[in-house]
Amino acid sequence: MGSIWQDKGTVTFEEKWPAMRPTVLKLLRQECVSRAEWQDLFWAVHKVCLWDEKGPPKVQKALQDDILDFITHAQARVLDQHEDQALLKAYISEWRKFFQQCNYLPLPFNQLESALAGKTTTSVSKKVQNDDSIVRKLMLDSWNASIFSNIKQRLQDSAMKLVHAERNGEAFDSQLVIGVRESYVNLCSNSGDKLQIYRENFEKAYIEATKSFYRVKAPQYLEANGVQNYMKYAELKLREEEQRGDKYLESFSGSLQNLNECCVEVLVTTFRDTILAECSQMIKNNETDKLQLMFKLMDRVPDGIQPMLNALEEHIVSAGLADMVAAADTITQDSEQYVEKLLDLFQRFSKLVTEAFNEDPRFLTARDKAYKEKGIGNKTQPESKCPELLANYCDMLLRKTPLSKKLTADEIESKLKDVLLVLKYVSNKDVFMRYHKAHLTRRLILDTSADSEKEENMVEWLREVGMPADYVNKLARMFQDIKVSEDLNQQFKETIRTTTKSSVADNLNIKILNAGAWARGSDRVAVSLPMELEDFIPEVEDFYRKKHSGRKLQWHHHMSNGTITFSNNMGRFDLDVTTFQMAVMFAWNQRTHDKISFDNLRLATELPDPELRRTLWSLVAFPKMKRQVLSMSGEVTSPKDFTENTLFWVNQEFAPIKNGKPQKRGKVNLIGRLQLSTEKSKEEDNEGIVQLRILRTQEAIVKILKMRKRISNAQLQTELVEMLKNMFLPSKKLIKEQLEWLIEHKYMKRDDDNINIFIYMA
Amino acid sequence: MKVKIKSWTGVATWRWVANDDSCGICRMPFDGCCSDCRLPGDDCPLVWGQCSHCFHIHCIMKWLQSQQLHQQCPMCRQEWKFKE
Repeated sequence: MGSIWQDKGTVTFEEKWPAMRPTVLKLLRQECVSRAEWQDLFWAVHKVCLWDEKGPPKVQKALQDDILDFITHAQARVLDQHEDQALLKAYISEWRKFFQQCNYLPLPFNQLESALAGKTTTSVSKKVQNDDSIVRKLMLDSWNASIFSNIKQRLQDSAMKLVHAERNGEAFDSQLVIGVRESYVNLCSNSGDKLQIYRENFEKAYIEATKSFYRVKAPQYLEANGVQNYMKYAELKLREEEQRGDKYLESFSGSLQNLNECCVEVLVTTFRDTILAECSQMIKNNETDKLQLMFKLMDRVPDGIQPMLNALEEHIVSAGLADMVAAADTITQDSEQYVEKLLDLFQRFSKLVTEAFNEDPRFLTARDKAYKEKGIGNKTQPESKCPELLANYCDMLLRKTPLSKKLTADEIESKLKDVLLVLKYVSNKDVFMRYHKAHLTRRLILDTSADSEKEENMVEWLREVGMPADYVNKLARMFQDIKVSEDLNQQFKETIRTTTKSSVADNLNIKILNAGAWARGSDRVAVSLPMELEDFIPEVEDFYRKKHSGRKLQWHHHMSNGTITFSNNMGRFDLDVTTFQMAVMFAWNQRTHDKISFDNLRLATELPDPELRRTLWSLVAFPKMKRQVLSMSGEVTSPKDFTENTLFWVNQEFAPIKNGKPQKRGKVNLIGRLQLSTEKSKEEDNEGIVQLRILRTQEAIVKILKMRKRISNAQLQTELVEMLKNMFLPSKKLIKEQLEWLIEHKYMKRDDDNINIFIYMA
Repeated sequence: MKVKIKSWTGVATWRWVANDDSCGICRMPFDGCCSDCRLPGDDCPLVWGQCSHCFHIHCIMKWLQSQQLHQQCPMCRQEWKFKE
C-alpha cells in the first residue's frame, strides 16, 4: 500500500518533468539521445498521463514552451541572413532539422494524445496517425507562425530564382527548392485542404515563373532557329519541364498537370499556326521524323490534329491524283501498271501514316477517306475504270500468264490481298464483281487457272472483305459446277469410246453447267459447226438425257473452244480457237486457195452479222501478231468496215514469229479474251447493271421503311448508303428517282406536315 | 485438208424440260427454284408424276405430307406416283 502511495507521489508532472525536459531539448536540437533516455521518456509520459489527472495539459504546455523557445532561436539564426540566397540556405538547413524532429518528437507523447483526447485505451492511441498528432501539429504550427509566414515570400522568390538559374543551365542543390515546397505542404493549418497554401503560393508562383520564362525564350528560339528546330526544342523542353516539375512540385496534387497545361500553352499552342503551316510541306517531303514530332506536339493542343488530318487527306488526294494523271495514258490501258501504281501509292501513304503518326486511328480515318475519294475521283468519267482494272489485275494473277508464272505463290497471295485492300476504297464493288465473275468464267471454261486452290481462297477472301453473300455464293457455286461437270465429262468419254470410232472422239470434252450459276440471259447464237462436231452434238444430248431425265441442253458455242491443226506453205501449226473461229476456218477446207467474200462466209458459217464481223476481225487483225491467219482485200480499221464483198483468204505466209524468224511449227492462241456474251447481250449487260442497281435501291428503301415505319430523308439516305455500300454507292439522283417511283406506286408517302419525313405504307 | 480439229470443248447449260413454265404449287418458274431455296439447279430439282405433271421436289413433298389419306396430284387429283 505504502509503495503505491510512494509511486503516486513520484508521478506528478512537477516531479517528472525535470527528468523529461533534457531529453526533449536534446531531441529538438538533434543531439544524441541514448536508448535509455529515449525509453525513459516514453515511460515518464506514460506514467504522468496515467496517474496525474492534471498532467497531460501541463505536459503539453511545457512542451509548447520548449518548442517555441527552440523555434525562436532558429528564427534568430535564419533571420540573421539578409541576403536572399543565404537566407534560403539557412532556412532550409534549419527546416530540415526541424522537420525531421517533427517525425520523432511526437512518438513518446502518443500516450499524451489519447489522454488529451479523453481516452485511455492504448488500442486507440495506436491508431493515432503520426501526421495528425497534436505534438506534431503543435510543432509545425509554431514554426509556421514564428518563422515561415514572415519570410515565405522571400523564400519563394529565391527558390524561383534558383529554378530559373537551373533552366539556364546552372547547377545548384535542388534540395533548397524542395525544402521550400515541403514547408508549404506541411505547414498548412487548414486540415480540410492541406495543399491549399501550397497551391495558392508555391504552385502558382512556379507555374507563373515557368510561363514567363518561356514566353521570352520560345519566340526567340523560334526566330533564331526556324520552325523545324523549334519543334525539337519544344518537345525537349516539354520533357525537361515535366521532369523538373516531378522533382519540385508536390506529386498527387494535380500540380504536374497544371504545369503541363501551362507549358503546352506557352510552348505549343501559342505557335500552333506557325508550326502547322509547315505540315503540308513535310507530308509532301515525306519527313516522317518531323511529322512524328509535330504529331506529338499537336496532340497536346486542342484542335491541333484536325489541320494535320486535313493536310494529309488533301495530300493523298492531290498527290495520288497527280501521279495517276501523269501516267494516265498507260495505266488506263494496262491494268497491271495501274494496279501496281495504285498499290504503290496506297502503301506509300499507309507507311507515312504508320511511321509519322503511329497509326493513330484519326489519321487512319483521314487516310481511308482520302483513298475513297481517290478511288472515285481519279477519273473524269462518272463510272471509274478502277473496279474493272482491279478485276483485270486479279485475273492476271490467277490465270496462267507471264506475270503469274514469274511470281511465287506467296507473292501472288500478297498481291491479291493488296487488291482486296484497295477494293475496300472502291465504291463500285458491283462492277468489280461483275468483271471478276466474267474473268473467273473464262478461266474455268478455258482451264487457264494458274492455281485452283488460290481461286477458291480468293472467293473466301472476297467473302471476308464483306462482298455481298449472294455474289460470293454464286462464285463458289461455279467451282462446284465445274467439278460436277468434270465427272460427267469422264463418264461421257467412257461412253463414246465404246460407241464411236471417230479419231476426234478421244479429244472431245463437254462442260455442262448449271444455267443459274453461270449464264446471263439466254442468248443463243446459231453456227454451222464442222461435220465432226455436228455429229457429236446429238450424242452428247442423248447421253445427257439418259443421265438426267427432264433436262435439256442449251449449247453456248460462243464459249466453246478447241484446237485445230492448220497447215500452209510455212508449216503446220496448232491454233487455239473459239468455235466461231473454227467455223470460219473450216470454210476454206474444201477450197484452200479461194478468196471468199464476207457474204459467202456468212452463208457458210450461218453466224449472225455482228458475230461474224468480230470473228473475222480476230483472224485478220489479232492484236500483237505480226502475220495474221487470214488476209483480206482493202484496208479497214474496224470490223464495222467489212462490206458484203470484202474478200478473205488464207494467208499462206502465216507463221508465228520468234526472235524475228518465222517458225515452221508452233502453237498459237487466237482466243484472246473469250467472249462471254454476244454483241447484243453486251448492251443489255450494261443496261443490266443499271437496272439491277435500281432494283437494289428500291429493295433497300423498302427494307428500311418496313423496319422504321417513319424516317427522315437524311437518315434514310445514311442507312441506304450503309446498306448498299458493299455493292455500289447510290447517287443522290438515283435515290431521289427511286423515292419518287415508290411514292408514286404507293409503297410509301411523305408526311403531310413535313415533306422530309417518309412513311411506310403496307 | 488443211484444217483439222485436234480437240474441242463444248459448253452447254442445262434446263428443265417441263410441260409448263412454272410450278403449279409455288408458282415460281421452273428455271428458278422453289420459294424455300436460294439457288436453282441440282439442289432444287424437279420431279414428274406418272400423270406427267411436274413440280419442284420440295413443293410436292410438302404437299404430299400434308395429305392425310390419299396422295393425289394437286393438279389432276389422280393418285400421285413418281415417274421413274
